[in-house]
Amino acid sequence: MQKKRSAVFLSIALVCTLLLSACTTVAGPANPAATADEPAALQIGLVTDVGRVNDRSFNQSAWDGVLQAAAELGLQEGEEVKYIETQDSKDYADNIQQFVDAGFDVIVTVGFALGEATLAAAQAHPDTYFIGVDQFQGEALPNLTGLVFREDQSGFLAGALAAMLSKSGTIAAVLGTDLVPPVVAFKEGYEAGARFINPEITILSTYHPGEISQAFTDPEWGAATAKQALDQKADVIFGAGGMTGNGALQEIAAAPGAGTEIFCIGVDTDQWETLPAAHPCLVSSAMKLITPSVLDLISTYAADGSMTAGNYFGGAGLAPFHDFDAQIAPEIKEKLNEIAAGLADGSLSTGY
Amino acid sequence: MGSRFFRGTALLAMFLAVAAVAMTLLVNTTSLGEHPWLRVFFSVSALNFTLRASVPLILGALCGILCERTGIVNIGIEGMMLAGAFAAFVAKTSTNDWPLLASLLFGVGASLAVGGAMGLLHALFSIRYRMDQIISGTVLIILAAGISAYLFDRDAVAEGKFGAIALPGLSQIPVFGEVFFSNPPLTYLALLLVVVVHVALFSSRWGVRTRACGEHPRAADTVGIDVNRFRYVNTMLGGMLAGLAGGFLVLEAVGQFQEGMTAGRGFISLAAMIFGNWMPFGATAAALLFGYTQALQNELLLAGITTVPRQFVSMIPYVVTIVVVSGFVGRVRPPAAEGKVYETESGSE
Amino acid sequence: MHIFSLRRAGQLLVVPILAVFSALLVGALLMWIFGDDPLAAYRGLWEGAFGSPRAWSTTVRKMTPLILTGLSVSIAFKAGLFNIGASGQFIVGTVCSVAVGVNFEGVPAHLPLALLAGVVGGLLWGLIPGLLKVFTGAHEVIVTIMLNYVASLFAAWTVYAGGTQGQTPGPLWDVNAGPISRTAEVLASARLPWIFGEPYRVHWGVLLAIGVALAMWWLIFKTTLGFATRTVGANSKAARYAGINVRWITVLTLMIAGGVAGLAGAIETLGLNHRFAPEFTGGVGFDGITVALLGQTNPLGVLLSAFLLGALDAGSARMQFDSGVAADIIQVIQALVLAFVAAPAIIRQIYRLRKPGDLSESTVFSSGWGR
Repeated sequence: MQKKRSAVFLSIALVCTLLLSACTTVAGPANPAATADEPAALQIGLVTDVGRVNDRSFNQSAWDGVLQAAAELGLQEGEEVKYIETQDSKDYADNIQQFVDAGFDVIVTVGFALGEATLAAAQAHPDTYFIGVDQFQGEALPNLTGLVFREDQSGFLAGALAAMLSKSGTIAAVLGTDLVPPVVAFKEGYEAGARFINPEITILSTYHPGEISQAFTDPEWGAATAKQALDQKADVIFGAGGMTGNGALQEIAAAPGAGTEIFCIGVDTDQWETLPAAHPCLVSSAMKLITPSVLDLISTYAADGSMTAGNYFGGAGLAPFHDFDAQIAPEIKEKLNEIAAGLADGSLSTGY
Repeated sequence: MGSRFFRGTALLAMFLAVAAVAMTLLVNTTSLGEHPWLRVFFSVSALNFTLRASVPLILGALCGILCERTGIVNIGIEGMMLAGAFAAFVAKTSTNDWPLLASLLFGVGASLAVGGAMGLLHALFSIRYRMDQIISGTVLIILAAGISAYLFDRDAVAEGKFGAIALPGLSQIPVFGEVFFSNPPLTYLALLLVVVVHVALFSSRWGVRTRACGEHPRAADTVGIDVNRFRYVNTMLGGMLAGLAGGFLVLEAVGQFQEGMTAGRGFISLAAMIFGNWMPFGATAAALLFGYTQALQNELLLAGITTVPRQFVSMIPYVVTIVVVSGFVGRVRPPAAEGKVYETESGSE
Repeated sequence: MHIFSLRRAGQLLVVPILAVFSALLVGALLMWIFGDDPLAAYRGLWEGAFGSPRAWSTTVRKMTPLILTGLSVSIAFKAGLFNIGASGQFIVGTVCSVAVGVNFEGVPAHLPLALLAGVVGGLLWGLIPGLLKVFTGAHEVIVTIMLNYVASLFAAWTVYAGGTQGQTPGPLWDVNAGPISRTAEVLASARLPWIFGEPYRVHWGVLLAIGVALAMWWLIFKTTLGFATRTVGANSKAARYAGINVRWITVLTLMIAGGVAGLAGAIETLGLNHRFAPEFTGGVGFDGITVALLGQTNPLGVLLSAFLLGALDAGSARMQFDSGVAADIIQVIQALVLAFVAAPAIIRQIYRLRKPGDLSESTVFSSGWGR
């Protein structure tokens, strides 16, 4: 009896202390940042798509851009520069609001899925600037820049390269999901580019079969599917879809003949830098340059106090060949340059 | 031991297997292979994918069988697998400077150890602390997901993974050499373990006692079997197998870790175990069937020969499982004493 | 049920409170070992969950679907069935409610109709494993797991923007969305209104959910049907001897479970998201298992545990924002809370509490696979 009663007391005491400590903290720094240093430095926040800031994929590219801008502007990560990793797609609006409430000046939202929440926040808070990565803007808002890319063009170049490298006449693409438009753009461009070089080419391409939350984080499916494509005599494989694509690239890199008979092409960033495990086969990557574009936009804002309203087209194209530079015939390079020029001046269309 | 079930299903399975072997040989060696639909169903790439997708399911199902045959329900296979995968990754990345094979084997050891530890935790929870075994399994799943994501160092890189070893002679057999006898080591190990577990379970003293614990613990106790000790040991052994499945994903299949990379494989293993009526070969057949339907789905999408929206193509593995489970298996019979805490005669009651 | 006796309530609450406390302590220890600041993290967690009206609103919002999915899993447990399928039923409920919500402009009672559509969708999705179990013996665990995958693929197809190999778009796809796969917005007449206005984003669904929980408590403990259900769950053989139609109870229970989970999907859609897109997953369905187990499958317990998990979830973003601690630690804490609540022996051992005589020490929800 004695013990039981003491236990009840103990627990009540514990709850009280918990509540008390919590209440005191509420009273304390209830109004963070706003009162701290009023006129001081720029504050930059980033909200990820469901994913991590160091996912070696597009969230990381955007975050790297923010970090580079922070370094240039002398901002401190964790103080003026912060991120929130979204856990659930229902939280986009809340996470953006978190930064708005804390008085951040620039908020970067990563991924097309945040488009709606970003647009709503930009309309509600005209004094805050928003950068929406992969978010195409129908109508221009003065405080919202949609950072978009011509993925179809860089995919077109990758497809052309693949078709020129292939000896078997079969190439493949292992892709994230067609529920995400940029991935579709990469695929369509890739196939059009390959057919531009060789209309007879066989293209095996497939999207991840699962739901959107798994499509970019299933490296084993990517790897197994890449192996399946190899078994069907594909000799150049384009891996486009976060971790899933990376799984495909690593599988090719470990396969016999990697770098001599079979090759792989990465996506988004120059994956030579981000995925060393793919070096044996990685001839190039179909890039969309998120990092420098984010850096550029933030720097512009820091200098002029404004950004491009509407859409800002970031750079897209092929990454360098790195160690494969000597192995790529000059004719191929010439042809790629020709295509790139054609795409740039509009004389060549990807058809997407 | 469910012999009528076994006979009927076994006959059907054998018939299907023979038909599949014949078709595979024909499609891959004769001009039948020019037909795109036949290629989808019987090409070497589909079979390779099948085996590869099945390995973690087989190991997971074996884990379930070991636990449940002694009377411990294990829905936490997913968590054990994930913990094993994470352990393998940490071990591999911290020994990147070792010789590749040593580092990989160290990774395998780590996945076994951590899988075993998860098994021990499950046993402790459900035997010592009498936690409901369903809850305990759920705890393992959430715990493994949380801890592995919290501690995952995304900058770490595992260098290298197990490569294929072609068995001399056997790998020269047309078609089947390519599928069955030129695989990486853990795949061979998994297939070997199926036989080992089956023999151990049905032909050894240990197996008889194990099953006694799961069917009639009171009787087992009467003849002097330490029921709870058997449950501890078997749950740990099972955990090691699930850990190995995780090790397979990291060290042999992918070469990297990723949060939640088991992606429901533990649950599918559970289904394979039930579908296989708690028998190692039955569960393996179920795992292979599931792997094959996944391969099929992928082949269909790769070949691009259907305009059915891909979501319906992707449903094939799941729908087939439901149909098969409800049409073929009918009522399965789990070990009788499953899920119940066993109180020894001299115990607290 | 002397549920309102104070002493009993005290006894019932000692373990859960100590469990939460211990889990937070272990979580803090983990953070400290791995170089994070636990105090800053918990301060952020508290701020994010209860620190301001907006934080409270987030907690309430997060709690709402968890109550319903928790109830869905609980009621199945009462009949000895393990419903892993709440997430699939949630998704089907979402799709059905959205299908009604974006169409039928000007129809009277649009909102109730849309809610009902969600319930019916979930109900039918729960009916499948029920019928299969009763007529073919297919185990509900396998069937519901598989149906989860099927549901999410089916839902993704309904909003599919169409493929490039000649695949047609799904029936609910918003023609104005271009290449984006999603539905149009639910019409205003089918939305659950906000309680406190737009910025707080708390909708009437929360009261609906609490009402369902109370109704469920009544159903389980005060009606013949509930008695029959509990009898089947405790011992199906005895139930059969007692003249209870076990098959009917099995089917009915899974249907109710599905309907409740479907309602969760409908409420989330009509109250909060106002549309369906493939990135809205049925994750709360899986969390429902934790909620149900934590609440000891009692509807009132489910309310408390949904509140706790909702608060943890709501605070996690603020925690990361303030302290930089990754939100994954919340999952670890959840697992520990569940473990400590489910194994009171651990807590009693740590805090040297005596075992109370009149409380059964462990709850068994499912005594194995077959029955």
